[in-house]
Amino acid sequence: MKSLQNLGVALLVFFTTLSVQAQNGNEKTIQIKTSAVCDMCKKSLEKAMAYEKGVKSSTLDVDSKMLTVTFDSKKTNEDKIKKAVNDTGYDADDKPATPRAYNKLDDCCRKEAGAH
Amino acid sequence: MYTSIPVRLIGKFAATFALLITILIPATAQQLNGKVVDRTTNTPLIGASAVWKGTTKGVSTDASGSFTLQSADATTPHIVVSYLGYKPDTVDVSGKTTVTVALSPTSSIQEVVVEGQQTRYSALTPTNSQVITNRDLEKSACCNLAESFETNASVEVTTTDAVSGAKQIQMLGLDGSYTLLTTDNVPALRGLSTPYRLNYLSGTYIESIDIIKGMGSVLNGYESISGQVNVKLRDPEKTERLYLNLYGNSLAKFDANLNVSAQVSPKWSTLLMLHSDHLGNRVDRNKDGFMDLALGTHHNVYNKWKYKHGDTWVSEFGVNALRETKLGGQMDYEKGEPVGPEQHYGTESETERLSFYNKTSYTFPGRPYQSLGFITSGVHHKFNSLYGRRNYNGEQNTGDLRFIFQSIIGHTGHTYKVGASFLYDDYTERLEQNRLARTERVPGIFAEYIFNNSENLTIVAGARTDFHNLYGTVFTPRLNVKYDLTPNTIFRVAAGKGFRVANPISENTASLVSAREFTFREELEPEKAWNLGGSFTQYFELGGRPGAFITDYYYTMFQNQVVADMYSNAHQISFYNLQGRSFSRSFQAELQYEVLKGFDVKTAYKYFDVQTTYNGELQQRPMIPQHRFFVNLGFATPFDKWRADLTTQYFGKMPLAYAEGHSGAANARSSDRFYTLNGQVSRAFKRWEVYVGGENLLNYRQPDAILGASDPFGPAFDASMVWGPITGRVIYAGMRFKIE
Repeated sequence: MKSLQNLGVALLVFFTTLSVQAQNGNEKTIQIKTSAVCDMCKKSLEKAMAYEKGVKSSTLDVDSKMLTVTFDSKKTNEDKIKKAVNDTGYDADDKPATPRAYNKLDDCCRKEAGAH
Repeated sequence: MYTSIPVRLIGKFAATFALLITILIPATAQQLNGKVVDRTTNTPLIGASAVWKGTTKGVSTDASGSFTLQSADATTPHIVVSYLGYKPDTVDVSGKTTVTVALSPTSSIQEVVVEGQQTRYSALTPTNSQVITNRDLEKSACCNLAESFETNASVEVTTTDAVSGAKQIQMLGLDGSYTLLTTDNVPALRGLSTPYRLNYLSGTYIESIDIIKGMGSVLNGYESISGQVNVKLRDPEKTERLYLNLYGNSLAKFDANLNVSAQVSPKWSTLLMLHSDHLGNRVDRNKDGFMDLALGTHHNVYNKWKYKHGDTWVSEFGVNALRETKLGGQMDYEKGEPVGPEQHYGTESETERLSFYNKTSYTFPGRPYQSLGFITSGVHHKFNSLYGRRNYNGEQNTGDLRFIFQSIIGHTGHTYKVGASFLYDDYTERLEQNRLARTERVPGIFAEYIFNNSENLTIVAGARTDFHNLYGTVFTPRLNVKYDLTPNTIFRVAAGKGFRVANPISENTASLVSAREFTFREELEPEKAWNLGGSFTQYFELGGRPGAFITDYYYTMFQNQVVADMYSNAHQISFYNLQGRSFSRSFQAELQYEVLKGFDVKTAYKYFDVQTTYNGELQQRPMIPQHRFFVNLGFATPFDKWRADLTTQYFGKMPLAYAEGHSGAANARSSDRFYTLNGQVSRAFKRWEVYVGGENLLNYRQPDAILGASDPFGPAFDASMVWGPITGRVIYAGMRFKIE
C-alpha cells in the first residue's frame, strides 16, 4: 500500500508540473480557413491540433469555418500547422486536404455534406 | 505563472453556473418541429431518431415523419438524425423552430451506433446492450479478450484451473459456454474451442464489443442462453494504416501485435492483423512446486477484405489461422517425460485452428430498407493435449450458412427479417480410451418482426425452427420489448428459449487437472433453458454532466442441463442429465456518473443465486460468489493526452465443492472474501502512446490453490478448485504506435 501512495503522490506532482506552462515571447496566433462543416469536425481538428508539436491552443468556429491556432514560433510554423490540418482531412486556406485522410472522414464531415 | 489557473477556474465556474440557470429556468414552451424525409424520393421516414447532440434527449418520428423536440433539452444548437439504412446527419438548428432533414441511404446494413464518450448503455437498442469502445479497450492490459472485460461490470472473468491459468467469462452467474460469442455478428469460437477462446482474439483486432444481457435475436441461432458478446473487428476501410503494439510484464510474458491496412482499389480494401505472445519463464510465487501460469507460445494471423460496389453490394471476407502450444505443471516438468515413478506432473497442449467467413449484402436500389444478406463461415479446429497421464485430443469441423431477407410491411414502423440457415458440426474427441463423436446437420428457418410505434415502444418478436438430425425439431421463440416512459427512462423486457448441445469434457477441462475420473452415467441430452428478465435505465444530468443508473434482473431456468457433479464423489466428476431444478437468479445495479470534467465513476453491485440439483439435492453451484462490488474510476485530461484508470472488485464468500474423501485444512467449505485492484496510466503523443499498469495490485492469492500439490499422481490431487487469483501482482508496460 505504501508504494501505491508514493505512486499517487508522484502522479500528482507530475500533473501539477504539466499544468504550469512556461510563458515566453514566441507565441503567435494565426487564423486558417478550413473545410470543416460540423461539430464532429471541430472535435477531431482540435484534437489533432492538441497533439501537434508547439501548438498551445486551438478553436474552430464551425459557422465561419475559421480555425484559430496559438503556437510557439520556435517549435513550429504556419506551414506545418496547415499540413497538419490537411492530414486530418480538411482544406487549410488554399491547400487541399490529403485525399486519403479526407476519404476516411465520417460522412457528416465531408465537404459534400454541406454546412449543417 | 500560476495566475492562469484561477482565471480558468472562474471561467469554468461561470459556465457551469450559466448552464445551471438555463436548466433551472422553466422552458417557455420552446419547441423545434421537424420532419425527416428520404433525400431522393422525398418520402417521410417513420421511426427515425432525432436527438439533441451531446444529450440523450431524443424522439422518434411519427407516421408522417414528423418530430418535436423541446429546446430546453438542448446543450448545443445541433440535432443528430439517424435511421436504419441511412447515413446519420448532424443538423444545425440555431434560431430555427422548424426544420426538414433529408437523409441519404447508406450502402451497408449497419446497426445504429450512437457515438458518445459516456453513453455506454445504448438508449436505442431493444435489448439491454452495453458497448465497450476502443477507448475503453485501451484502459486495460492489452492483447487478450479476457482483459477487455476488466473495466466492465456485466461480464465476469474467472480463472479455469490452477495449472493453465486460462481465463473464462461468466454472465448472469452462468458459465461462458452459455454466452454466444460472435465476431462481426457471425458465431465464432464455439464448441471445442470454448475453454481457451478468449486467448484466440487479440485485443488489437477489436474495434468495439457489444454485450447483450439476456435473450437476444434468433438470427444468430438457438445457442445463446445467458446473453451475447459481439466483437466488432477493425474495419479495413476505416482503421489505421499501421498499428503496432508491444507489451511486456513482470512475469516475462511478451506480446507483439501489428496491423497493416491498405485501400487496394476504389472498391477493395484489406487489413492484415498479426499477433504473437510468448511466456518462457517458469514462475512459482506461491511455492507449491507448480508453475503459476502455463508457458506458451501463440501465433495468430487475421486477414480481412472488404468489397464495396456503390450503394448496393458490400462484401467482407476474413481468414484466421492460429497455432498455440502450452506447457504447465510442476516446475521441473519437461516436455515428453516418460511415464514412471520419477515422473513430474505436467500438462501439454497443441492447438491449430483455421477459420474463414464471408458476409455479403445486397441493398435494393431506391429501397434502403430492403436488403438480402448471405453469411457463410467455416472452421477447422484441432488439438492434442496431455494432463498428467491423461491424453485428451479433439477435432471440430464446422460449416455455417445463412440467408436473411429484410424488408418492411407498408411503412418502416413494421420491419421484418426472414431467412434460412444450415449448420454442420462434426466433433471427434478422445479422452484416454474413450471416444466421443457426433455429426450434427441442422437446417433451420427463422423470422423476426420488429414493431416500432415511432414514439416510445419497440417490440421484437422472433422465432426459429430447426430440424436437428440427432435431437429432432427444435423450436426457439424469443421476445424483446423496449418502452420509453420518457426519453430518459427506459424499460426493457427480454424472454425466450435457448438450446445447445454440451461438450462436457472441453467445458470442464479444469477437472482434467485433478485425480478425478470422468464418468458418464447416461446418454446426455441437449441443454434447454428459458430466460426471462428485464432492465430499467435512467439517464440523468447533474451539474451539467451526464450519468446513468441501470438495474436489471434475470432468471434462467434449465429444463435440461448436463450436470457436472463434483459433489457426490471426491474422486469423480460425473455427468448426467438434470433431475430436478437448476436455475440462476441474477440482479445488478449500476451507477455511472462523470463526477468532475474528465473524471468518470462507475459502481456496481451484483447478486447471484445459482443452484443446481446434484444427485437429488439442490445446492449452490460452487465457486460463484453471491455478492460482488465493482468500482471503476477513470480520469482523462482533454484530448486523452493523459489517462488513468483504477478498478477494484470485491468478491464475497463462494461455496466450494466440499468433498468428504479429502482431508486437511485445504478442503474448505467456502472461499475467502477478497478484493482485487487493477490500474493503468497512459500517455498519448501524436503517433504513439505508452502505458504502464498493474493487475492484482493488492497481491491477493488464493491459498492452497492446488489440493494435494505434494502428490500430483495421488488420489487427493485437484487443481480445478480455483476461485481467486493464482498469480500475484503483475506489473506491465507497453507502447502503441499508429499511423492514420
